[in-house]
Amino acid sequence: MTNLFLLLSPRVLGLKNSLINTKSGAKKKAFVTGAVAAAFWAALFVLSARMLIYFQSVEVIGDLLAHHLLSMALLTFFSLLVFSNILIALSNLYLSADLELCHSSPSGLEEVFLSRCAFTILDSSWMVSIFGLPVMMAYAWVYRPGPGFYIALAHAGLALAFIASAVGILIAMILVNLFPVHRTRDILMLLMLLIVIAVYILLRFLRPERLVDPDAFFTVMQYMSALKTTDSPFIPTHWATEILWGQLDKTARGGLLFETAMLWSTAAALIVIDLWVSGWIYLKGFSKAREARGRRAGGNILDIFIRIIKRPVKGDLASMTDKDIRIFFRDNTQWSQLLLLGALVLVYIYNFSVLPLEKSPIRLEFLQNILAFLNMGLAGFVLSAVSVRFVYPSVSVEGGAFWIIKSSPLDMGRFLWGKYLLSVGPMIVLGETLIILTNQFLHVSLFMMLLSSITMFFAVFGIVAMGIGLGAAYPRFKYENISQVSTGFGGLIYMIFSVLFMAVIILLEAIPVRIFFMAGMKWKNITTFQWLWIILAFLSVFLIIYFTALRFMKIGRQAIEEFE
Amino acid sequence: MDIIKLINLTKFYRGLKAVDDLNISVKEGVIFGFLGPNGAGKTTTIKMMAGILKPTSGSIIINGMDLEKEPSRVKGLCGFIPDRPFLYEKLTGLEFLNFLSGLYRLERSTSTNSRLMGLLDIFDLIDWKDELIEGYSHGMKQRLVMCGALVHDPRVLIVDEPMVGLDPKGARLVKDIFRRETDKGKTIFMSTHSLETAQEVCHELAIIQTGKVIARGTVEELIKDAGVDGNLENTFLKLTEGRGLSHDKPLSAP
Repeated sequence: MTNLFLLLSPRVLGLKNSLINTKSGAKKKAFVTGAVAAAFWAALFVLSARMLIYFQSVEVIGDLLAHHLLSMALLTFFSLLVFSNILIALSNLYLSADLELCHSSPSGLEEVFLSRCAFTILDSSWMVSIFGLPVMMAYAWVYRPGPGFYIALAHAGLALAFIASAVGILIAMILVNLFPVHRTRDILMLLMLLIVIAVYILLRFLRPERLVDPDAFFTVMQYMSALKTTDSPFIPTHWATEILWGQLDKTARGGLLFETAMLWSTAAALIVIDLWVSGWIYLKGFSKAREARGRRAGGNILDIFIRIIKRPVKGDLASMTDKDIRIFFRDNTQWSQLLLLGALVLVYIYNFSVLPLEKSPIRLEFLQNILAFLNMGLAGFVLSAVSVRFVYPSVSVEGGAFWIIKSSPLDMGRFLWGKYLLSVGPMIVLGETLIILTNQFLHVSLFMMLLSSITMFFAVFGIVAMGIGLGAAYPRFKYENISQVSTGFGGLIYMIFSVLFMAVIILLEAIPVRIFFMAGMKWKNITTFQWLWIILAFLSVFLIIYFTALRFMKIGRQAIEEFE
Repeated sequence: MDIIKLINLTKFYRGLKAVDDLNISVKEGVIFGFLGPNGAGKTTTIKMMAGILKPTSGSIIINGMDLEKEPSRVKGLCGFIPDRPFLYEKLTGLEFLNFLSGLYRLERSTSTNSRLMGLLDIFDLIDWKDELIEGYSHGMKQRLVMCGALVHDPRVLIVDEPMVGLDPKGARLVKDIFRRETDKGKTIFMSTHSLETAQEVCHELAIIQTGKVIARGTVEELIKDAGVDGNLENTFLKLTEGRGLSHDKPLSAP
């Protein structure tokens, strides 16, 4: 077992070295990330605590609901944990770059396997424990249990992590022996994304805002209380729920030795089973995963689609467009994000369809148009968020192959405008869909409909130019996953600039909008002086968009020409 | 006629002089070998010639045109083969070549298509043309890069370490192709660590150390000037004062 500790040491030493040698930029990044995580943690804690206090105030069924919620939360965390364990086990046990070194060393198969299992448990569990902890702390804050709760939380949590990892690793080992490892990982990642989207849409469509509406609250409560116990007494989260609830609820039964024994004996048994199975199939699967990944690249539909899209462009730009579209649709990490985007847009539009406008004390017509006006800013923000994920990385997406572009006769300005043209069309479609559909739900006036759709049409040119320009100014050609590119410093700068850009446009357009509304409400004509203001405001908006687009494209061009 | 001229070419990297006032001219139709120990400035020079790095000072003239002033025209004349074949992994081999032919503004025609097929055939990749590049071995990727560099029939080939990752058959193929291209009047500027390759194919050589040319001439001239017996390896080691592994030191600790 000496080798086991040796096999674990690169990770420990790597972590130590990265902590010691952290550069100031990385420290800042870590600080910002930490602050965002802390804010999220606090928000989750407050939300959970408020919900539990609310439940407690409901007689008879309050505790029942809290018990249900605990059971559901643990089941959700456990399911996520099993799923992430499968994905991480595929990487740690079959795909990691250092595995060949480990397997070619004199270390035993069991030691290599166990070291990889340890990495899998750590890699998969930390995120769930961080997000799960505020919920558990909210229970502790509301129910004020004794120290036994914290001990129970630690050991039950650990046992659940072991069980989830053991189950995940076992499934991963079986899958790799049945299917090619890369294909399995791609399918699982897609599946996970679809589950996240389904849960997101489901949660939104359940309309949780009704919980704060006294009229609707009791209907929801009745529904929830009508739910029978969903968990089976044979699943580990049931034992963990009972252990924790035993500490939270003073009236619950005592030591719960049976559940504790079940939890830990299951964990131990599964670890033994994993070791046993690994002896049979792990090396076979590992060897299979080393085999070449030859894949036929068919796709007549893609060819037809590309032919249509690139029709307006010629020569080198047509080749660039062709290549970019093919790469986008063949890279699962790229196109699968479109599904997430679709869900985001769906929920965004749905939110407008259920706005309780009639309950507002403000005059309906006025409120509808104010909302439509503010909606421009919100839609601009959504567009920026989409753009930071899809447009901003479009230069970085060249990756290590950027030398091909740089050593070719293609001018860097032309290269960036090619990327620009490819992005601007889909972004206009998205922007207009958001604006027109939401305005339809708001039943806004024709003036507001025209104003917001025309504004959004032109604003897209600025938003995309900023994305391409800053993406070229802060390129990141070395990445494991293209989605990492948007999370860098340049991505943050881009978000700030695009929010400011939309804010300036909205502020400028507020002048003509106010003049038109006041004139409409008071049945007055617009004066010549007011017309002058209106023209000046719209002209300023147009000029700002025009010069922003040109300026940022120029910044990008200079930066990419100088890039080494 | 000198088709390549590097005039007072200098490159600083964070205060370090990687290429130091380099002056090289290469005649048309030759294979010019660019040798030097690790960190001598070979790849930096090559990348400047390919337009990937900008020189701190000096100029690169190819076919009478300054790369700085007319980058597109100069790049259109050159083909570049880097030492590491980073490619678009999600394209197939044929799609990659089609992309390059568009980038180098070749007409979409039957002749272009048959040229691409011919190149794939020569480099033994025809059966793999519809496979994603991610499924290629290192050597296959290297051969595809070479195919790509020849797509637009360049007058000058700039090559960085062409033999890395190639099997003996691939290496032989590349040497034959280089010879054939120079027979057609093409010029090849090639950096290599393989002295055997250099001795075998290069018409002329330059040895660079700490960014400066320390020797230049044909293989015979270099051997003669160095005053050593035998081959290019001894000449190279003498000129660069490299010792390789010291025979005085044992490989394992006592």
